[in-house]
Amino acid sequence: MTAGEMYGQAQADEPDVAWSATAPALTTYLRYVRTEVRRAWRNPRVIIFMLVLPIILFAAFSSSSGDDRLGGLTVAPYIMISMASFGAMNAVLGTAGRISLERSIGWNRQLRLTALSGPQYVLGKLGVGFSLAVLPIVAVYVAGASMRGVHLSAGTYVGAGVSILLGLVPLGAFAIWLGYLVRPENMQAIIGGLFSLLALAGGIWVPVENFPDWLADIVKLLPMFWSAQAGRAVLEGGWVGARGLITLVVWTLLLGAAAGRAYLRDQLRT
Amino acid sequence: MAMTSDPYAVGGPSGVMAPSVALRGVRKRYGGVQAVDGVDLTIAAGEIVALLGPNGAGKSTTIDMLLGLTRPDDGEVRLFDRSPRQACVAGRVGAMLQNGGLLPEITVGRMLASVRDLYPNALTVDDVLARAGVTDLAGARTDRLSGGQRQRIRFALALLPDPDLIVLDEPTAAMDVESRRAFWSSMRAWAATGRTVLFATHYLEEADDFADRIVLLRRGRVIADGPTTEVKALVGGRGIRATLPGLDAAALSALAALPGVARVEHRGESIALTCPDSDSALRALLTAFPTARDLEVVGAGLEDAFVALTSDIPTPADPEGRTSRTSRTSRADRTAAADSADRTEAYR
Repeated sequence: MTAGEMYGQAQADEPDVAWSATAPALTTYLRYVRTEVRRAWRNPRVIIFMLVLPIILFAAFSSSSGDDRLGGLTVAPYIMISMASFGAMNAVLGTAGRISLERSIGWNRQLRLTALSGPQYVLGKLGVGFSLAVLPIVAVYVAGASMRGVHLSAGTYVGAGVSILLGLVPLGAFAIWLGYLVRPENMQAIIGGLFSLLALAGGIWVPVENFPDWLADIVKLLPMFWSAQAGRAVLEGGWVGARGLITLVVWTLLLGAAAGRAYLRDQLRT
Repeated sequence: MAMTSDPYAVGGPSGVMAPSVALRGVRKRYGGVQAVDGVDLTIAAGEIVALLGPNGAGKSTTIDMLLGLTRPDDGEVRLFDRSPRQACVAGRVGAMLQNGGLLPEITVGRMLASVRDLYPNALTVDDVLARAGVTDLAGARTDRLSGGQRQRIRFALALLPDPDLIVLDEPTAAMDVESRRAFWSSMRAWAATGRTVLFATHYLEEADDFADRIVLLRRGRVIADGPTTEVKALVGGRGIRATLPGLDAAALSALAALPGVARVEHRGESIALTCPDSDSALRALLTAFPTARDLEVVGAGLEDAFVALTSDIPTPADPEGRTSRTSRTSRADRTAAADSADRTEAYR
């Protein structure tokens, strides 16, 4: 009996086994996010940039006298939330680089031959970005407690963290858009500039309270400000408010539409 | 093989064998270029088919549409009587895409494991590495592999879903002779289990060595499709060279009409005939042109014949999809053939 016949016999006994055993879509998606998070986690550059930088900045900026107040908070918790938001923003924007690189080497085409669908790929990349974003938030919380004695209730920690992440949803859409728009060789420069610009415009490096009024008004039209603001609002016992929510929703819709268009163009062209 | 032990007799959902691949009237235009111009192709389970053609013939576009990576402008693509996407989701299709890269900054083993998670009923990483003959590379980083090693890893990637159909787009492009031999030997072992293989190549020798059927593409159309021996006879065969004193246009037409002659080229009074059947051609030649001298019968270089057949000569394919005989040879023809030869040369 040849190898072919042996194989044939096995198949004839249980025909069509491949069709019945298709993995549920959600399982495939979660597996993808899990392995991608692991892969990102093994990259030392990711960790240094995402974790160490916000902690250093927190240590540097939160050292002024403990009783000064920014908005409704003292300096340390205010800067803590700013830097948590900054680190999380880095993690989410990293999505752009991952998509761009994988497009350039044709990896996304390879993945389109698996059970992972196109939308699952994009959402998976977002899932990775947002999962990684939890790490700098926690790291900055730990730094806040150990360096400046900022102690919050568990509910406040979680609430502020979740609010920061929700405030980054527009940036997630922005990252996808960039990933389909920018070639990897240009990504470093663009992302580098964007980090600084978004951090500045978000009132992260310089608190918005220190801005002139006209500039503060512009900053409050941009989505980045509201990520940190959403976190701080939780510390003050409130929520981001209608103005913040509307700003975030409008930006999500705009950037989401741009991202969706770029994604579809990529799918149809290649 | 008896019907009962034929895996594919009962493979289809309705009990009827569905072809692995069915393309019907598939077309794709990119800007001003009709990359694929109405391709019909049905591949039965277990066939090993070479998609042969020069660069720009539409091989990659055809394969992209076949895999569902590119949407055809017109026509229908079915794999196992399902959409390409459904077939991929079920893990029935594996592919080595052209110019495909590997995920950087990760070991080969981890990369394969991460893709493995995305298939139902996947083979193990160790298994595909062994089948691709690269077990020793499991711990190597993907960005530190040679061109040939990368291709072998991409082959392992294509084997992961334990596919019933494997599609390879110029699989040996970056390989040296040694890796090429090793690759085809792994491929043969895999195909011996009765799976369907479709590979694109511009090496006729590769198609000849490995495929049992050749589909010849030219300018987005199938110009020949049949068993390897038949297509090879069409593009290969032998060549007859001779000198015909007083050669004129009428004589050239007469030469092209001789039995067993597929193509006529001439330079001054020297002629070169491409002959699927050189015996008949030689007899007919001597009968029709008793003054012919300097006769030579040579085994035509397969590549040369292939280039001649697929070069951009303005000869429309006949309704059967077979190439019609070239009845006239002009300077332009030879130039086109020479250009194609150069292009082919450049990709060696």
